[in-house]
Amino acid sequence: MTDRRRINGPSGGTRPPVFASSIKSTTTATERPQRQRQPNELRKIFLKTGLIPSASGSSYLEFEHSASLSAARALPKSLIPPSSSLKLACTVHGPKPLPRSATFSPNLVLTTHVKYAPFAARKRKGHIRDASERDLGVHLETALRGVIVAERWPKSGLDITITILEAEDDRWWGDAPDSHDAAWGMMNVLAGCITAASAAIADARIDCLDLVAGGVAAVVVDESVDGGEPSTPRLMLDTDPAEHRSLLSACVVAYMPARDEITELWLKGDNSKASVGTDDKSLSYETLIDGAVDAARGAHSVLAEAVRESAERLAGLETGYST
Amino acid sequence: MGGPIASLNPLNRADGSASYKCVSTGSNILGSVNAPIELPGRRDALKPEEATIEVFVKPGTAPGGVGERYIEGVIRNALGRLILGRENGYPRRGVVITLAIVGGESVGRGGSYLPLLPALLHTAALALLSASVPLSMTLSATVLAVDSSGEIIREPSVKDAKAATSLHALAFTSKGQLLLNESEGAFDFGTWETVYERALAICHGTSTLSSDGDVAMTENVDSQPLEGVLRDTVQDQIHSEYAWKIDAA
Amino acid sequence: MASTATAPAPQPIPPSLSLPPSQFARLQPHAYLLAHLSPPASSQQPSIRANGRSPSQFRVTSANTGSLTHTNGSAVVRLGDTTAVCGVKAEILHTEDIASWSVSHSSSSSFASNKRRKLTNPTAKLGEDRTDSGDNESHIEDFSLLVPNLSLSTGCAPGLIPGAPPSALAQSMSHQILSLLHTSRLVRAEDLQIWYERPNFGPEEPEHHNESEQMDVDVEQEGSDEASIQTGEIKAFWVLYIDIMIISLAGNPFDAAWTAVLAALRDTKLPRAWWDVDNETVVCSDIVSEARKLSLWGLPIASSFGVFEADAAAGWRSVTIQDAEEERKLAEGDRKGIQRRWVLADPDGYEEGLSQERVCLVVDKPQGGDGKVFIVKMEKNGGFAVDRKELKELVDISTRRWEDINQILKQC
Repeated sequence: MTDRRRINGPSGGTRPPVFASSIKSTTTATERPQRQRQPNELRKIFLKTGLIPSASGSSYLEFEHSASLSAARALPKSLIPPSSSLKLACTVHGPKPLPRSATFSPNLVLTTHVKYAPFAARKRKGHIRDASERDLGVHLETALRGVIVAERWPKSGLDITITILEAEDDRWWGDAPDSHDAAWGMMNVLAGCITAASAAIADARIDCLDLVAGGVAAVVVDESVDGGEPSTPRLMLDTDPAEHRSLLSACVVAYMPARDEITELWLKGDNSKASVGTDDKSLSYETLIDGAVDAARGAHSVLAEAVRESAERLAGLETGYST
Repeated sequence: MGGPIASLNPLNRADGSASYKCVSTGSNILGSVNAPIELPGRRDALKPEEATIEVFVKPGTAPGGVGERYIEGVIRNALGRLILGRENGYPRRGVVITLAIVGGESVGRGGSYLPLLPALLHTAALALLSASVPLSMTLSATVLAVDSSGEIIREPSVKDAKAATSLHALAFTSKGQLLLNESEGAFDFGTWETVYERALAICHGTSTLSSDGDVAMTENVDSQPLEGVLRDTVQDQIHSEYAWKIDAA
Repeated sequence: MASTATAPAPQPIPPSLSLPPSQFARLQPHAYLLAHLSPPASSQQPSIRANGRSPSQFRVTSANTGSLTHTNGSAVVRLGDTTAVCGVKAEILHTEDIASWSVSHSSSSSFASNKRRKLTNPTAKLGEDRTDSGDNESHIEDFSLLVPNLSLSTGCAPGLIPGAPPSALAQSMSHQILSLLHTSRLVRAEDLQIWYERPNFGPEEPEHHNESEQMDVDVEQEGSDEASIQTGEIKAFWVLYIDIMIISLAGNPFDAAWTAVLAALRDTKLPRAWWDVDNETVVCSDIVSEARKLSLWGLPIASSFGVFEADAAAGWRSVTIQDAEEERKLAEGDRKGIQRRWVLADPDGYEEGLSQERVCLVVDKPQGGDGKVFIVKMEKNGGFAVDRKELKELVDISTRRWEDINQILKQC
């Protein structure tokens, strides 16, 4: 188990800290964070390009802190963060010649690489990419492959690397894992990755069909106000899994608004239980996808602004050279 | 204090090799040099005008780790300035130096390699000489520990090195220039300067440059300067290898 | 120089064929930097680096701490275009998981010596403080309580393949950081110990230093054996996983990484932890006011330098075989004001590619001391330009750098 290329921890292994408040389930000192946004209101996205000058293109993306997190940061009471907000950095290297060993390719060869920093999540991540990180890489590649005009660069490669500094939670930390459990946070991460990669590719001046943006929507079940029976399932955009009792299903899309096309669709969960009896069309898969597309449209406006800044910077550079 | 024991060409198949044993630190190093050799599969990394130097340090008992990568880099940088890598036949080729720690205490996780560094450098230098790799000059190195009372210990044992306030490894070229310095622990510049003086004396004696550029060495408290030990080792080897010629003459 | 790079021109090069500076910089990096550093005397221009800095000038540095939610302490340090993110995550190592624990440590023989050390004047000379190490300090090394790892595989620079195992450079830097953490004794072992207080001892927690210290003075007089029985035992240690991601690499990653580690450790808060007898495990309190910051020993700050030599591109033999004659010529040149070597502080990626000789200095200035500077680490390798005299100057530059970084870290 020892990694000879890294500095290893104690051979006996270490355990993550156990907090007293999480053992005594009877006295829940902290409440589940509540969503303060409207169902169709997105979190603000901070997106900036060109922070990594050695790369052909780069971007940094950060989600706005949820209400609970910013409250916890302003007035810290507990060491356990109520929720987290996505932070990631994306670099694009290329187009560059393919390595000598690679076979001929008439198109641009896209390589995507998504890695969590070891400190990105509640549980410490390993240094070597795990299955979920590989999965994210594949999803990201599909999302981008449909966007890039790959025929323009034969025999070339494009490396897209994303480092996730802070990931989204899969569920509220106080909840025990249950049957509805899935890696919900991963879907938000993917949406962020798509938007950030899109900005970085534009920053690297790679020809694209459109600016592709990522968006997430989910069908959620919340605790009712009086604390009794859970409320009826509802559709929400840009969900933070920590803020909901459970997610029935979620969908992430990579969407090109100008062409009204989806390059990547990832749907998880089961809606059937939710719609049984209610006969409510508003919870079908179609509406879920439409919701995700709406979220992507929102992200696209931020993306367009970031790319405009990037273009202005380049224009400034060029005039700088000529003088 | 016994001086180091060194011999050339203990290995038959390598282009050049040397073994070196430092009595006071207890380290025992076996080194081999292969040069110039083709480095296939690394064509992209090769430099067009110079030889590519590769150093491998193999610890004796433990598997290698990050500490070895670090000390390999240190040795490579130091030797890079001595090897005439632009000499005919060397550009685009490799000089591969392998140093195996045969005896002595092994270095633990995050432990300091400094006590071993002089022995590694000496072994590498002797092995390069025995492989007839063109060098601009040779080197000599030593390690000194300063204990809490400010006393300087020459070539400390692992235990002394652990207890020391600061530890200094210095290497000098045969012209007396400071080629390498690695110091760790808390010390001030004055302390380092005394360490420097002492190290220079150990490596070169109270050396004076004579007119023909040869280093004249005088003995002092630290017995024979290390520079001379290396020189003698090479001379002895030449004497034994060219015995037929010397006898014939 | 331009004529060699462009196509052979039949007539004297017309201005349209001359290269823009950015291309000249790529084609003839050495000549480009040299031209900046030694402008012709007639031009009246000052000697300046290609990036506009003076030789001893560092890049603009900024630090930001505590922005990562899931860490015990975190920092983002930007050194010009080099960015390092460091996150510290603390986990617990139970003594029962340490194979050598029961053999080597009968309860807490080190506790007394530890406390004794605490009683010594904290403003005492740094050197003395650090050597006065009991068994305690070796805990950090013996049980691998500090686990720093640096990653360059983040797409931070074009040559580094993402996802590849750590390169030799990343491995050496991880080692350097660990070794510097050990030799500078930055983190105190006592901060990382989790104690079990026997119930008969009273209600105080071991963390209440004031009380236990007072009591310890009495206990010590009775002998350390009894002290160990009464004061309890170490049941676990905190292990600090210190991960450094170099997000953007534009030269001098070590300074950025070390500053990030320093800032992150200063920001690190460990929850109050105790041994829960019923559950036979260590339990932590999540109350922020009970958590405590690490109390670090000193503030060792790193500054790196690269040496640029004017004659490296000219005849290589004359560089490598330097004799006394040449040294004299150099010295003469110095007197005439012709400089042939420049020691460049905080080299960027471009300058790093042009300098073989590197110097790395880590200095510290103890608080409340007499302003005396201690060197914690001094490395110099790869050339002959920097000798005693130059090192002394570099120590002075590093001292000034210490003041700057100290201010920056205080503000974040």
